[in-house]
Amino acid sequence: MNKFIRYSAAALLGLGLAFTAAAHHSAVQFDFAKQVQYTGTVKEFAAINPHMRMTLDWKDAQGKEHEVRFEGHSTNNMYRAGYRKGMVKAGDIITVNAAPYRDGTEGGYVIAVSKPDGTFFGMKGRAQATGEAVRKQAEGK
Amino acid sequence: MTQVGRIVKSVAGVAVALAAGVCIAADHPDLTGVWTNAGGPGIGGATRAAPPERAPLTPLAQKRLEAYNKLVGGTDDSPGRWCTGTGMPGSMLGSGGYPMEIIQRPEQITVVYEAHNEIRRIYFGDRNAPQADRVPGRDGYSSGHWEGDTLVVETDNLVDQVDQRNTSHSDQATIVERYKLDGKDAQGRRILTVEMTMTDPTFYTKPLVMKKSWAQVPNGRLLPYECPEEMWLDRIAERAKQAGVPVP
Repeated sequence: MNKFIRYSAAALLGLGLAFTAAAHHSAVQFDFAKQVQYTGTVKEFAAINPHMRMTLDWKDAQGKEHEVRFEGHSTNNMYRAGYRKGMVKAGDIITVNAAPYRDGTEGGYVIAVSKPDGTFFGMKGRAQATGEAVRKQAEGK
Repeated sequence: MTQVGRIVKSVAGVAVALAAGVCIAADHPDLTGVWTNAGGPGIGGATRAAPPERAPLTPLAQKRLEAYNKLVGGTDDSPGRWCTGTGMPGSMLGSGGYPMEIIQRPEQITVVYEAHNEIRRIYFGDRNAPQADRVPGRDGYSSGHWEGDTLVVETDNLVDQVDQRNTSHSDQATIVERYKLDGKDAQGRRILTVEMTMTDPTFYTKPLVMKKSWAQVPNGRLLPYECPEEMWLDRIAERAKQAGVPVP
């Protein structure tokens, strides 16, 4: 899976707004001007505050297995972005769009999650454009 | 006057007073409701708190903020990361991204902030506690009164707060807020505005003046915000690891 995916300037602007809206906690270790994408199998997932957390079993292009850790928005903001109880659980294959760690650590801050059956959640509101961009990308459009 | 006559007169007097009281209460705008940032499409809109007019810091404040930034700069450590309520004035300025609910009674206005389940109480008239009984806290102690249609809230008994926000202050800070309803937006939602002045000679050489506005969310509801759970889960996992057993 291509790890790095870049979106339009408009989408990136939307991301910045999304983060402004959602984060009253510092997340300076993430670079919200960039996005990374991982497709893998959920190992652990917890919708908790102040930040959700998730571990993904992910294989790189060489087939090497990695355990990749993520954090993300609060449960509250996830619900407002379309997440619902039970939507993501251990064993699910998902695609995660995330803002990467600035220091190059694998994983990042979750922006959107999509599943092969079309299940999706991502930031809404002022960042609707971003959500749409992520959705279209997830749908292969 | 007979005994019965006096009783009737007293009851009538009380009734008149109560009616007058109700009228006075009814004359005030009712701010009850769920509010989010004005200008956004609904709950979750971008925070629209006007950046505070940055008054010059005192040398003491500058020194303390530099020390704080040196300690936590570049990390995700902040009061919120560790589930600490925002505290005034940040709790009010920051509300909206996570909405707030105002519950108004004549003798008390209660503000519930979704973030961190933080609660602020504003007391009126005889409902107020004596100064000596006011417990210092991050949101301080707030006393309110009406000046026509303007709600005026005075806050004291704040505790020292030094963090990443532009509104760090000492325990000497006091805040005066003036709230007014300001018509409706294009979506027909009521607009609430505030002008807030924070005075803290220990931290600032002149008062900070801040403004913000909110839009009412029709039939809005706050979501629960359980925060310390993450630390609790970590603690249980740590104990399980130490004991060499699976997490129950």
